[in-house]
Amino acid sequence: MVTDERMPYAPYPAPTGTAVAAPPIPVASPNGSGPWFLARANLGVLIDTLREDGRTVIGPKVMDGAVVYGEIRSVDELPAGIGDEQSPGHYGLTKGRHRRIFDYAVGPLSPKRWTFPPVVPLNVGRRDGKAVSFEPAPIDPPALAFLGVRACEVAALGIQDRVFLGGPYTDEDYRARRRNALVIAVNCTTAASTCFCTSMGTGPEVRGGYDIALTELDEGFLLRAGTPEGADLVARMPVRGADAGQLFRAAEAVGKVAATMGDPVPTSGLHDRLLAQFDSPRWAKIAERCLSCANCTMVCPTCFCSSVTQRSDLDGEVSTSERVWDFCFTAGFAKVAGGNFRSRPRDRYRQWLTHKFATWVDQFGTFGCVGCGRCIAWCPVGIDIRAELLAIAPPLAVWPETGRPRPVAATPGSYATARIVSVRNETADVTTLTLGDVDAAFLAGEFGQFAMVTVPAFPPVPISISRFGRDTIDLTIRAAGPATASIIGLGPRDEIGIRGPLGTSWPIERAMGHDVVIVTGGIGLAPLRPLLDGLLAQRDRFDSIRLYYGARTPADHLYREELRRWAARGDIDVQLTVDRSSPDWTGPVGVVTHLFDRATWDGSRSLAFVCGPERMMEATVEALEGRGLTPDRIFVTLERHMECGIGLCGHCQTGGLFVCRDGPVFSLTQLGGIFGREGI
Amino acid sequence: MPAVAARPRLRVGIVKMASCDGCQLTLLDLEDELLALASRFEIVEFPEASSLRSAGPYDVLLVEGSISTPDQAAEIVELRRQAKLLVTIGACASYGGIQALRNWSSHDVFRAAVYAHPEYVESLATATPVSEHVKVDAELHGCPISPEQLREVLVSVAVGRRPQIREESVCLECKRLGTVCVMVARGMPCLGPVTQSGCGALCPTFGRGCYGCFGPREQANAASLARTFELEGREGEEVSRLFAGFTGWAGPFRSVIGDFGGPPGMTSGATSPITATTATTATTEGAGDAG
Repeated sequence: MVTDERMPYAPYPAPTGTAVAAPPIPVASPNGSGPWFLARANLGVLIDTLREDGRTVIGPKVMDGAVVYGEIRSVDELPAGIGDEQSPGHYGLTKGRHRRIFDYAVGPLSPKRWTFPPVVPLNVGRRDGKAVSFEPAPIDPPALAFLGVRACEVAALGIQDRVFLGGPYTDEDYRARRRNALVIAVNCTTAASTCFCTSMGTGPEVRGGYDIALTELDEGFLLRAGTPEGADLVARMPVRGADAGQLFRAAEAVGKVAATMGDPVPTSGLHDRLLAQFDSPRWAKIAERCLSCANCTMVCPTCFCSSVTQRSDLDGEVSTSERVWDFCFTAGFAKVAGGNFRSRPRDRYRQWLTHKFATWVDQFGTFGCVGCGRCIAWCPVGIDIRAELLAIAPPLAVWPETGRPRPVAATPGSYATARIVSVRNETADVTTLTLGDVDAAFLAGEFGQFAMVTVPAFPPVPISISRFGRDTIDLTIRAAGPATASIIGLGPRDEIGIRGPLGTSWPIERAMGHDVVIVTGGIGLAPLRPLLDGLLAQRDRFDSIRLYYGARTPADHLYREELRRWAARGDIDVQLTVDRSSPDWTGPVGVVTHLFDRATWDGSRSLAFVCGPERMMEATVEALEGRGLTPDRIFVTLERHMECGIGLCGHCQTGGLFVCRDGPVFSLTQLGGIFGREGI
Repeated sequence: MPAVAARPRLRVGIVKMASCDGCQLTLLDLEDELLALASRFEIVEFPEASSLRSAGPYDVLLVEGSISTPDQAAEIVELRRQAKLLVTIGACASYGGIQALRNWSSHDVFRAAVYAHPEYVESLATATPVSEHVKVDAELHGCPISPEQLREVLVSVAVGRRPQIREESVCLECKRLGTVCVMVARGMPCLGPVTQSGCGALCPTFGRGCYGCFGPREQANAASLARTFELEGREGEEVSRLFAGFTGWAGPFRSVIGDFGGPPGMTSGATSPITATTATTATTEGAGDAG
């Protein structure tokens, strides 16, 4: 139940799209929020208590071959010993574990049916002579208690809160229904094959937005209160403190469920990947199967669209208006007097999918999907949204498949180790170390991320990862001080301490289908090399690629052999310059921006990635903007003093940003007035 | 009510072609509103309910039934001349109805098998929707039609607006009601996803699949649904039979029936000319949107 008038907007944290294993439940304290233990035989007390409070309990029950939500008057109506099997286009009941109440995955109905009912009266309009009047329908929803809603459903309520209550105009009917509803959630100890809450970052453990959260064990239920109302309710129940064994088994059960789901829909960069595929031939392919019957949208716990219908008397003097569920798949949905904006099923499917996973983010700051899998199971022809997402907007092949990787040894005190496999001198003062025996998290790192690197007795230094190999990573290090010198001085088989991967990355997915301009100087090429590897590995997904690279002298260009190879490919324009020539240099001399001052390309379809000394980046940005690039399409890195690498130590703050955590890659839009300003 | 009473009543005729009369009777099912309707409409032709007859003209003419005989084919042309608005009511008038199944077969073979003296039976080789003969202003679907939709058409004529009839699948009615999908949860074949709503999801609510009596909805991808039925282990003949019901002659359903070998039991004997021509070029309005 939401009591704070300001709060219903976001009682649940926005889905992050990051797969997170369920954290262990901390040991009980006898007071406060729990956890408590409720014996199985006492579950009925919960229902009776809620009913005594005048609440209608909406909970799970078996009807017509499915577990649905409906009014629960007695504990005997709950689906004891019932499980389910779900797959694309199929749903069936099975035998669940003995006496277990919540051993099924989500069924076709969700709390949406009560918070956003299929039909809601809006008003009665009357005409009386020349006068007209409209009498709004009264809003007087019943007090409900949702029993057994899952983490994905709680997250969906949070998303609908943002939709209906989070903007400048609010839906008062929704607000009243929501305010009057208590949420008694259940942590999932089972998952259907259609579930993917782990990918959407919404489950299987409930993490907020509940009054009480239950976890079912063989002998009963662990209870945790999330609000004062929940705590009051628990206080009236025959509970005792949960013991450590119960806590362990509960955490283990939820953790296992998370593991069975894995991460079937990598959401890293999904927004941009999907929007880049507006003209994909796959949309027509899906439309060959899609019935545009709208079942997916109706079973979706977040889909919120509706239409208003009137029913008038024969004289048109009195008419009643109702809001009814309606969705982007129906014929009339995008129709105007002159025609239909989305007449083809392929357009409707694209509207739906891109809304759920991209434009919803723009509107509401979260995905419109919670990973409940209903649209997969209840699609009559079994279209699997997970498969379609992977087909339409596949993660880039060298793009990490598990979302933003969880760094290893994230806390400043703990370091993983890696072994130096080879050492290569790039220039007089720059060396590349190839590291083996690195944690898998590093191999899954993103282009532009960095690591904190150290050896005993020296302060850790932030070093960009300059290549992601199959089982190695490269660090390209300039001897800038004693710490870097000590690392460069190591040889093969020496070990170093390493934490990461950390920070943000070059948004390669946004570059799909665009021209790419990379401008860099000196060692700035190091964090860009993985990006170049990624671009060239999937060359056909990008339009032109241009690399402008300046260095002090010809001998200061990094990766000279690779630069030659890239130039020879013919599908990337490599332009080099130096500040000071040498006898064997035949190329241009001057600052890097001169290289494209004379070029003829148009920046309106380009994305630019810039890394180098701040002065050089300022000049570059000015030149890029002169060519029509807007700040949201120019990405730069900032260098600041970093120590912890995770936004906790405060060293790297600039403006409102932690460069280590929020950067080092930023769009100019993000930086606003920070970029180029001294003393920040 | 003086202003209302001053309005002239609209002349309504209800006529039938080849049909069972169930749709016309739906008008009488609007029991609670009949008196109100009578204040706005003068029913001048309704043989099923009244012996009063009129040759027209009609402000609104409701036509039930398909065109099955030479007489009907001539009559509908004349009726069209007499009607300001011609509205077909029901699966027969709008799609040909169950009797359109004969369009796949040999008319003469059937006639000889059923009647002792087929030479006395004057019927056309095909049973076809009214819209194949004359311009139709609106079609009401269903076997029988929905009283609510009939009311809406009459109200919209009286008020002078467009009828608000939702273009959507039966699934929307099921889901709004909270009915569990019989296809997904019980493996029953159901035409609901490709069928126009209006029936209130009557069949699925009573635990059986929709048989499509309201006909294909806008952009009905019947081909995909048929492939799914087949993938789930149904033979082509069974798939064909599922679509070959009250609205089988409607474009998207007709295509599926053709692709799956024609309606069972209807393909023996001489091929009717219409099977050889029309069915193969059947309108595939929106079938798949694969283009």
